[in-house]
Amino acid sequence: MAVPAWYSGRVGLSALVAGVGGMVADYRKLRRGFHWDTPRPAGWPEAARAAPDRPTDLGWARTEPFRSIRWVLQKGILNPFTEAMAHPTVEGEEWVQELDRPVILASNHTSHADTPLLLYALGDRVRERTVVAAAEDYFYGRRMIGFLTSLWLNTFPFSRTGSPREVLHRSGQLLKSGWNLLVFPEGTRSADGALQPFTPGIGHLATENRVDVIPMHVRGAHRIMPKGRDLPLPAKATIKIGKPLRVGEGETSRAFSARVERAVHELADGTHSNEVEGSWIERWQATEPRPRSRF
Amino acid sequence: MPRPGAVVEVDRNTPPTLFHFGEGFRLERLPLGSRIIYPADPMEPIAHPERAIRRALAHPIDDDPLADLLRAGMKLTIAFDDISLPLPPMASPDVRQLVIEEVVDMAAHAGIEDIELICAIGLHRKMTADELRHVVGDRVFTTFWPDRLYNHDAEDPEGNVLIGKTANGEETWLNKRALESDLVVYVNLTLVPMDGGQKSMSTGLGCYRSIKEHHTVHTLLHSNSYMDPPKSALHDSCIRQGQLIEDAVRVFHIETSVNNHAFPAIANFLQKRETDWTTSDQATFYAMKQATDLAPPDIKRSIFHSMLAPYGLTGVNAGQVDKVHEKTLDTVRAQLLVPVEGQTDIVTMGVPYLGPYNPNSILNPVLVVCLGLGYLFNLYRNQPVVREGGVVIMEHPCRYEFHSVHHPSYIDFFDEVLADTTDSHEIEKRYEKRFAEDPWYRQMYQHSHAYHGVHPFYAWYWAAHALQYLGDVIVVGGERSTVHRLGFKAATTLEDALEMAEQTVGRYPSISHLRTPPLFLADVEV
Repeated sequence: MAVPAWYSGRVGLSALVAGVGGMVADYRKLRRGFHWDTPRPAGWPEAARAAPDRPTDLGWARTEPFRSIRWVLQKGILNPFTEAMAHPTVEGEEWVQELDRPVILASNHTSHADTPLLLYALGDRVRERTVVAAAEDYFYGRRMIGFLTSLWLNTFPFSRTGSPREVLHRSGQLLKSGWNLLVFPEGTRSADGALQPFTPGIGHLATENRVDVIPMHVRGAHRIMPKGRDLPLPAKATIKIGKPLRVGEGETSRAFSARVERAVHELADGTHSNEVEGSWIERWQATEPRPRSRF
Repeated sequence: MPRPGAVVEVDRNTPPTLFHFGEGFRLERLPLGSRIIYPADPMEPIAHPERAIRRALAHPIDDDPLADLLRAGMKLTIAFDDISLPLPPMASPDVRQLVIEEVVDMAAHAGIEDIELICAIGLHRKMTADELRHVVGDRVFTTFWPDRLYNHDAEDPEGNVLIGKTANGEETWLNKRALESDLVVYVNLTLVPMDGGQKSMSTGLGCYRSIKEHHTVHTLLHSNSYMDPPKSALHDSCIRQGQLIEDAVRVFHIETSVNNHAFPAIANFLQKRETDWTTSDQATFYAMKQATDLAPPDIKRSIFHSMLAPYGLTGVNAGQVDKVHEKTLDTVRAQLLVPVEGQTDIVTMGVPYLGPYNPNSILNPVLVVCLGLGYLFNLYRNQPVVREGGVVIMEHPCRYEFHSVHHPSYIDFFDEVLADTTDSHEIEKRYEKRFAEDPWYRQMYQHSHAYHGVHPFYAWYWAAHALQYLGDVIVVGGERSTVHRLGFKAATTLEDALEMAEQTVGRYPSISHLRTPPLFLADVEV
């Protein structure tokens, strides 16, 4: 391959000069062409939105380049920091290693440190496909905080006060799009580290979308950063991952919520297995979404 | 109510115009009096796609409801379009996923054990597992992959069967599994009018011996344009083959159409006319322009190819192929058609990073020709936007770069065939058969992810009509040696290219700029 000449604008200093020249030229083109210094020309048609507001549940945080940026941030900063602060021990990771379809991950919630610890425990493959439900009123009140949280942890605004139907719809779309959903069914952080009652939303979400729920439990996060403290302190944490739970035939969402709650309670002691075998029809029907009216 | 497409004349106040430039952009000042053809804004999508799909399956056109056609013990095949549609790929869930999930659900309720899903790739490359998963969704993928969900293999001698010949003597082959099925449900996505209809099965599940019947220089020269099926010899041939297929196997055809919302929010400025650009659009453009100017091609490509389009479903119809296609085309045309008065001496276009044959791949120089002079040139009805003997000016870096896994025969086509001649007839006569039957290309098509050996020929023929019709083709910003190999002229700037074009079309030429993508179809009035 021929080496470009020094004056070609493709190597060394001349490339730098050409690059800076290009930036300046583009800036000027925009400034003049789009009339930054003068009123909008009368001949221009009224500006239109052009694209309809399609309720896309993918969201910017789940598109490139933000996914790649997040991958770098989590691998380069978040995980090493989590490891240094908590020396986490993960038990039951085999339940999330072979996930081949979206699931809901349900965990107790005692601290802001829960999310990094849980993401750490999920491993690269699952973490990359996991969206974290973050309280809309807490994290998305201020735009910059919401932006950084979404970028950093792949969160989506989960309304605790708005329409449950809307929350279900958006969560369902994410699951349908292949994302796992990490939720904290207690609804808020526990002040003393003890488990609080689960809201029935987790059961609705699972029964409506016919997805498995994986119970998870974090121990020690409360010592790292309890509610009310702004800075983390080092402490040992253990994350336990339970076997996937599937909504039973005829099981109500409330009953299923209770089962998930029990599973999180029991996590300190048990692990189990769960796989669907049989013909394709059995496999298909095992993941069937909620019954729909037929036309 | 979305704005219809428009033709805007350039005046002193007109902002600079966006040109796609491969994995990058340019802002150009077009001469005063030039006209810019803008696509319509995206149509409002159907609010409840799943409901619309169920309604279409329950009330098909000229056919029985799908539920009535399904019965236990039958052999069911679901075939669907591959990754070449839509462009860019659709953000999850893809409409094909929604349709296939509904069909599979009905099959499960009917107790059908023998079901297979075939991706109708024709002579395209085999889709990877991840690509298939994206199209059909997790649930379908994990239930059927890999035994019951797979790519069609056009080179499997055991897997394809000769059905017969059409009245015009065109051989018609079909995937054996599809032919032996009691019912084939075809799930299509129509982005532009050349897609869908009888072409879906005759090319998607055919093999070289049947596809070569219509992918010829002669046929494509008589397809003016192939975006206007009634005037397309290519489509006439596909319809003849399709009718033969319909006689041989029971087909239930499902077609979907989407709007032209092709770019995600982060690249919203690509979706808008320049006069609609907000300050934030301008800032995004500036940032992306600088980033793409500086970044190496591989990084740019991986970022661009990860962009998924937030397309919205605009129509879903099911039933008899021709009837269904008629309705689908009405919806597609409602989105795409832009009335344009008369032709101009010059047409300018920015060639983007993506065409039907390079998803997750490289738009090599042959594909630049295919996309610019094949697809974009042919986005017309009645007559081309450029007059006969006029000039097309394309902007693209046109680098000598190929994807060695996806496009091995393209490399040899460029190095060997185009070095000899760029004449489509000559190429067809002297080289096509050798490439089509080359055992190495066949091996890579069957067992890797390579396009069929003959594919670069078809990509070249796709531009045959434009090459015959035009007086000159100029590529702005392209690598000089590569552009010359393609038989075109290279220019550094648009101003230079316009100056060069004047030598062909005369002084003070009229100019049209095709501001696409998003796509439109110029309805050129005579």
